[in-house]
Order: sequence, then C-alpha cells, then structure tokens
Amino acid sequence: MADLRAKQRAGGRGAVSRAMIACAAVLCIAGYVFVYTAGRAGPPIRSDGFSYYVYLPSWFIYHDASLASVARDCCGGEFPAYTAIIRWPGTRRWVNAHPIGVAVMQAPLFLPAHLLTKWTNLSPDGFTLYYQHAAGLSGLAWTLAGLAILRRLLLRHFTDGVTAVTLVTILLGTNLFHYATFDSSYSHAYSFCLFAAFLLLAERWDESPGAQHAAALGVVAGLIILVRHTNVLFLVCLPLYGVTDRASLSARLHRLLKDWRGLAVAAAVATAVVFPQLALYYLATGRPIVSAYGSLGFNFASPRLFGVLFSVQKGLFFWSPVLLLAVAGAIWLWRSGHGARRFVAGAALFLVMNTYLMASWWDWQFGGSFGHRGFTDAFPIFAIGLAGFYTWALHRRGTAVAAGGIVVTLVLLSMFQMLQYWFGILPFSDTTWSQYRAAFLRLP
Amino acid sequence: MIAGREISRLRWRRRALFIALTMAGAVAVLAYLRDPPWLLAYSSGFTQWEVAEDGSRVRWAGAHASFFVSSDARDLRLRLRTTFERPDDWPVTVSVTLDDVPVDRLVLSDGAWRESTIRLPPRGSRRVRRVDLRSDRTRPNHRALQLHLP
Repeated sequence: MADLRAKQRAGGRGAVSRAMIACAAVLCIAGYVFVYTAGRAGPPIRSDGFSYYVYLPSWFIYHDASLASVARDCCGGEFPAYTAIIRWPGTRRWVNAHPIGVAVMQAPLFLPAHLLTKWTNLSPDGFTLYYQHAAGLSGLAWTLAGLAILRRLLLRHFTDGVTAVTLVTILLGTNLFHYATFDSSYSHAYSFCLFAAFLLLAERWDESPGAQHAAALGVVAGLIILVRHTNVLFLVCLPLYGVTDRASLSARLHRLLKDWRGLAVAAAVATAVVFPQLALYYLATGRPIVSAYGSLGFNFASPRLFGVLFSVQKGLFFWSPVLLLAVAGAIWLWRSGHGARRFVAGAALFLVMNTYLMASWWDWQFGGSFGHRGFTDAFPIFAIGLAGFYTWALHRRGTAVAAGGIVVTLVLLSMFQMLQYWFGILPFSDTTWSQYRAAFLRLP
Repeated sequence: MIAGREISRLRWRRRALFIALTMAGAVAVLAYLRDPPWLLAYSSGFTQWEVAEDGSRVRWAGAHASFFVSSDARDLRLRLRTTFERPDDWPVTVSVTLDDVPVDRLVLSDGAWRESTIRLPPRGSRRVRRVDLRSDRTRPNHRALQLHLP
C-alpha cells in the first residue's frame, strides 16, 4: 500500500480520479436540472422522500417533535397513506416508518433554504420551492461526497486510472445516478456516502487506533443506523476487516479485544447519535424500539432471492449487470492476496445477510424504483470488487480490451434504460419479461 | 526567495479576487431574489388546472396552498367550494392570510361556491403579495378546496 501511495504522489496524487469527480458533479447537476426543467418528475419531496424529510419542518418551523403540527398544516391533520406515517394504536401519536437520519443530513441545506424562503416571501411552510430543491440537491451533494470518499478509499489500494474508471462505472453503470438526481430525496444516496465513509474509517482506525478515529466511526455508524435501521448489518464490516482466513480471524478478535477502549468510544458515540430516534419512538409509543410498518413485515421462510438478484422485475444483476464484474473482481481480490481483500469477508457477509433480509421483505421490489434500490447503499463495496476486476483485467492486454468493450456497453445500456424509466417507457415496478422486451432499446 | 514571495502574493491576490467576486455574486443573487418577477406565476399546494362541469377553470388546493397577486391590485376575489360526497363529511374551515396577516375565514358547510372579497392594502416594497389558504381538513386524495378562476 505504501508503495502504491508513493507512486501516486509522484503521479499527481490522483489527478485523473479527481477530474472524474468534477465531471461527475457537472453531470449530476445537469441530470438534476434536466429532471426538473423537463418535467420528468414531481417536486423533489415526494413519496418516501416526503417521510424522510418531514421531520425538518416539524422541528425547525413548528418546533414540534410529534409531527402533529406539520400534519395539520400540510395535510389537514392526517398524513396520506403513502407516507407510511401512522397513528400508533393506543397513543394516537404519529410514528414515521422512515427514520430521522436523512433529515439530519438534509439539515445543512434546509436552514439556508428557510432563510431564503423568508427573504423571497415564499410561504415558509417547509414545502415551497427552495425547501424542495434544498432536499433534492442535498441527496446529490451527499452522492458526490460519497464518490469523493470512495475515491480516497480506492486510491489507497488501486491506481488512479483504475479508481477513476471504477467511480464512473459505479455512478453510470448502476442506479446510483438515478438516486443522485431523479429520486435524490430517498435515503440511498445518503447511505451510499456513509458506507464509503465507514469503510475508509474502519481501515484508518485499524492503522492508527486513536480516540479521534473511533469517535468518527461512532458518528458514521450512528448515522448509518439513523438513515436506515436495517443497515445496522453493515457494521459487521468493522470486526471482519482484515479477516482472510482462520488465523487472521483469531488475530482480529485479539486486536479488537486489545483496542476495547476505542470500540467503547465508537459504541458510546453511535449510541448518542441514535438516541434522539429512540427518544422519538418512546414519546410516540411508550417503547424505544418499534416497527412502524404495522402488520407488514418479513417472510423469512420464503425469501425471493432470485427476484432481488436476477429477476426482470427488480433483479440487481439484471438491471445493473456490470456489478457481476464486481463479484468476479471480489473473488479475484480474495484469492490474489491483494491489499483490498481485507474488505471482502465483511462485505460478503453483509451482502448475504442484506440480500436475505430484502428478499424476505413483504414488498421485495421495494415499491417503485429503477433497478433494486435496496442495493444502492452498498455500492461502495461493489466498487472495491469492480476496482479489483479492472486491476485483474489490466494485467491481460486482450482481456482489458474485451472487458472495456463489455463495460462501456453495459454502462450505456444502464443509462439508456434509466432514461426510459424517466420517460415512463419502463414501468416503476412489476416489470414483466414481455414489457421489457417491448421496451428494449425503444427511444423515449 | 523573492520569486517565492511573489508567487505567494499572486496567490493571495487571486484568492481575494475570487472571494470578492463570489460575495458580489451572492449579493446580486440575493437582491434579485428579494422580489423576483416569476413569483406571480408561482404557486404551491395546488393541482393542475381542470375544467369544471360548467366549463370554468378550477384547481384543487391541499390543506395549505399559496399563490401570489400583484401589489398593484386593489382587491382580491376568491371563489371556493369543497365537496360533500359522504353524509358524515364535516364542514371545512378556510383561513385566508395575506403576507401572513389573517384577512378572512370561511366555513364551507355545503357544496355551493363561496366568494370572499379581500381589500388589498396599498402597494408595499414588493411587487407581489402572498396569499395563503389553509383548510382544517382534506377530502379523499388529499384535496381540500376547489378554487375557481373567473
């Protein structure tokens, strides 16, 4: 790793990948402007985005943690059914199925939007023009922050060129671009950034286990849980970092026991970050941990594994086939002894658990989405595998050309299908094989 | 050494110029956004315009909707109604505010059109005034009021 860093210092400290981040920013902003000027989507705060965001007007405008005031103003006292904000049986208080993490991360843009709203004399109700785009642009900004953090992580193990190509592939060859622009008020862009930060911090903490890194890990871990509770599973990447065989597993456990103070700091900080959410649940229901989905839940006995991974409806690899190369790359990393294989065990265990969880959810398609949005959060770990694949391919001249051709084709296909989704040619959910065939390569 | 100092001075000048330009841009944007001309066409909390049974143009408002009127207007005439499709539908109380000052309150207890005429104060420092309509309940599909455009 030190050798690679020395080479990168000599070669302009990742100039190509840095330029790629700048290009990604321009492209994302252009995509966002297109979505809203061409009337491709309704206002950014919509559908699940409404429920993630609604805490901000409630806290900062109505000074009310119960959501009742905002319900009165926006919705005549009752939230619409699509918001999944329900009155808790017994207390009759509002409980939101979507936790507060996204709102916390949107707050830095919400406050300037509120001041600007008052300055222009728009209605300061939390839902007029500036609030809408503060929420929309917030998701875009966190996606770019995620890409920048991912770049730093990848540059520790891969060359600048491989890092740059990996970032482009992850942004354009999957549904990440869609969730940075079209549906940027959903939680996925936020989780993407936090996952990248967690991996980077886990590695840094391993290199220099100090209280500062431990506290930062705690903040990010807490936010990961606050944004999407089931993403708590991702924290498994920390104890499994560096595990490649039985001996390294034992060494890792000893190391964690030795650094128990750091772990305690991280756990304490994470608990403090998560505490406001638990307090909100307690105030609304009398219990600190609840499921606000009511009778809707998991079917653990009959998970739709093929559905979430390969189906035409929402299969991860059907809609983002370039990620198959990431899986191949991760296998190569694991076998080759490459430095980045330290991430593979944790990433693999998380993906297995998360896939099973999503496949068991009553709505395994996760409602309307381009591709399966449940996996978007985890793209930083796919990026490591993808960078591994590119590293492998670059050592074989013929393979590199063929792989390049395949990747470009798959990225273009993904972009084209995303535009078809934006133009309503591809359905939001329940896509059938005949619908897909009829729409295949059909121009908007 | 002298060359190094020169480079550093040049960098500082560039930074100062960048900061000055950014601040000037921010001030210009804020000055524009104080009273932008597009506000007259802006509204929130409404559906698209529809054509009612009698051929007039109407739009639905949610529980809170807002729009802008010219400051030069002397009065504002609103025609509102709501639906009563179920026997247990409660009346809807509508509060009207002008730039956050309450100016009228209507109770819609049947499906007939109700009219509210609001006298507007003399023109202030802005070219538009904001009108907010707040209803205390909504009907199915998150709709509260039908607003009529003469």
